[in-house]
Amino acid sequence: MSLNQIERAQGLRVRSTQDMWAGVFMIVFACVAVFMAWDLPMGSLRQIGAGMLPKSIATICGALGVILALSSLRYHGEALTPWSWRAVVHVLGGTVLFALAIRGFDLGPIHVPSLGLVIAGPLVVLFSGMAASDRSLKELVIFAAVMTFGCALLFKYGLGLPIPLAPWLLGI
Amino acid sequence: MAEMMSHLAVGFGVAFTFQNILLCFTGCLVGTLIGVLPGVGPTATIAMLLPITFGLDPTGALIMLAGIYYGAQYGGSTTAILVNIPGEATAVVTTLDGHQMAKQGRAGIALGTAALGSFFAGTVATMVIAALGAPLTRLALLFGPAEYFSLMVMGLCFAVVLARGSILKAFCMIALGLLLSTVGTDLETGQERLTFGIASLSDGIDVAVLGMGVFGFAEVLRNLETPEARDVVRAKIGRLLPNWSDIKQSINPVLRGTGIGAILGILPGNGAVLGPFASYTVEKKIADDPSRFGKGAIEGVAGPESANNAGAQTAFIPLLTLGIPPNAVMALMVGAMTIHGIIPGPQVMTKNPELFWGMIASMWIGNLMLLVINLPLVGLWVKLLQVPYRLMFPAILIFCCIGIYSVNNQPADVAFTALFGLFGYALIKLGFEPAPMLLGFVLGKLMEEKLRQALIISRGSFYTFIDYQNRPISLGLLIVAAIVLAIALLPAISKKRDEVFTE
Repeated sequence: MSLNQIERAQGLRVRSTQDMWAGVFMIVFACVAVFMAWDLPMGSLRQIGAGMLPKSIATICGALGVILALSSLRYHGEALTPWSWRAVVHVLGGTVLFALAIRGFDLGPIHVPSLGLVIAGPLVVLFSGMAASDRSLKELVIFAAVMTFGCALLFKYGLGLPIPLAPWLLGI
Repeated sequence: MAEMMSHLAVGFGVAFTFQNILLCFTGCLVGTLIGVLPGVGPTATIAMLLPITFGLDPTGALIMLAGIYYGAQYGGSTTAILVNIPGEATAVVTTLDGHQMAKQGRAGIALGTAALGSFFAGTVATMVIAALGAPLTRLALLFGPAEYFSLMVMGLCFAVVLARGSILKAFCMIALGLLLSTVGTDLETGQERLTFGIASLSDGIDVAVLGMGVFGFAEVLRNLETPEARDVVRAKIGRLLPNWSDIKQSINPVLRGTGIGAILGILPGNGAVLGPFASYTVEKKIADDPSRFGKGAIEGVAGPESANNAGAQTAFIPLLTLGIPPNAVMALMVGAMTIHGIIPGPQVMTKNPELFWGMIASMWIGNLMLLVINLPLVGLWVKLLQVPYRLMFPAILIFCCIGIYSVNNQPADVAFTALFGLFGYALIKLGFEPAPMLLGFVLGKLMEEKLRQALIISRGSFYTFIDYQNRPISLGLLIVAAIVLAIALLPAISKKRDEVFTE
């Protein structure tokens, strides 16, 4: 029995977890888009409505996703590799901290004033920098201070962009 | 010819002011500075440096952005030669022979040849743009909505075919990009679409936010995944200027590479990416001793680098004349132009000749700058390459954060960028290539507008796109698109059939 026949005898199974999940990803996106655009009018070809393109493109996305998922049952491909959640949490978390700190925010009873670049800059550098496996805290702290100072000089004074530096401390 | 010269004279008049030369210089310098960082390609560089041009007038901003673009391209080649890490697809070929040359202690010659070849290619490509600018713009004015739509369909088909990896996945990315482009307020009816009720989405997704998330952040996440193994060349950089025998060996590859790159770069849908590969293949085919390739053949650096630069530059042609970005970098350029209130397209040349020709003239100056500033600064770039990634990525992130915040002074944009970073990381993990998505996203809005206009004119009939009597151009473009797709799909399908059950 040739290898081909052995493979065939094993029937359908997921032969590429990467493609399988890629297909599922597309289908999920398509479903969300169709659901969100459900109430938008399709219009006619003469006068295309707001919903026609989102719905039709989403349908295409979904169809492509189905093809991709089905093809993963038949064709060999790459396996899904594990995510590095540590990097995701630190890098994206650091960015969100920057977004929250730069102009402050109100969330129910919590009120955070605009903290400015002086706080937001070190926050993003320190928090995201922890993602590296060979990090050293001392080095990172110095680097955060230097980068923030440099960026403040470059963007605020060099390029004249309206970034709050430290409204609570310096009033700018 | 005389017309072209007078246009160029206008351009050089604009470009040769002290301010614009300084901007061009700064652009090239910071572009190289960021572009040389391993793992940061031209697309990410432009996304990151977009905000530093906000305070400038449109002409100055575009001149600087063009400078950043060339700088990033050249920085990418430097990294490819010295560290063996290609910043973007177009630099892959350079790593083959360039890094070998560097290992043999000829890094300086490889860098010098790349710079000189790129300068020559850039000069020729500038002439090509100047020569084709006016006639193509006139052609573009003949285009109605149907032709534009068909042209963009063709561009997307090229993008699918030229994308790395699976064609099916490239299709997915284009479709996803088109889907993302529909987010926001509908232009004609004013209804909100797919906004999830979030106010900052009602203007649609900002191309800078999407680009920075998918190219900047996602790339950082991917690089953090593997512990870094950077193969920085320890050998001496050595002499920079090639000697007579090097020049003799590389002059023909440079000429051929320039021709190949310039032609492929004009194609809509990222033809520029083909240039270096095509040039390398050609050089290897016609070489007396093909076995030298991959072991430090100077032709393998000279040809592809010239093709790369020529293509990088002629890729501006579809953008400037037709308003259609051919690849992800140009898609970001569209974003930059819109921020400055310029809608790319044929009207730029007629309404804003100073900007148009000034930018073209500055392209040549930019290439000259690269030669003048980069070769003496090679030592600095090598130092920069030794900065460990654990410090590099926080620096990249703070730059991105400040940059994105400055686009609209909206903290929400920064948070969205983080979200798109996650999205881009998911795409990478799932084996998708994000570049076609960005292209689909930028073209999506234009396509929708043109599709609606075309269908209103034709009273709802799709026949207008293939009407051979009244719209032969549209039909022709669609036929080209179909042929390109067929050529790419047929072998893929038949090959897959053979491979189905082989382990």
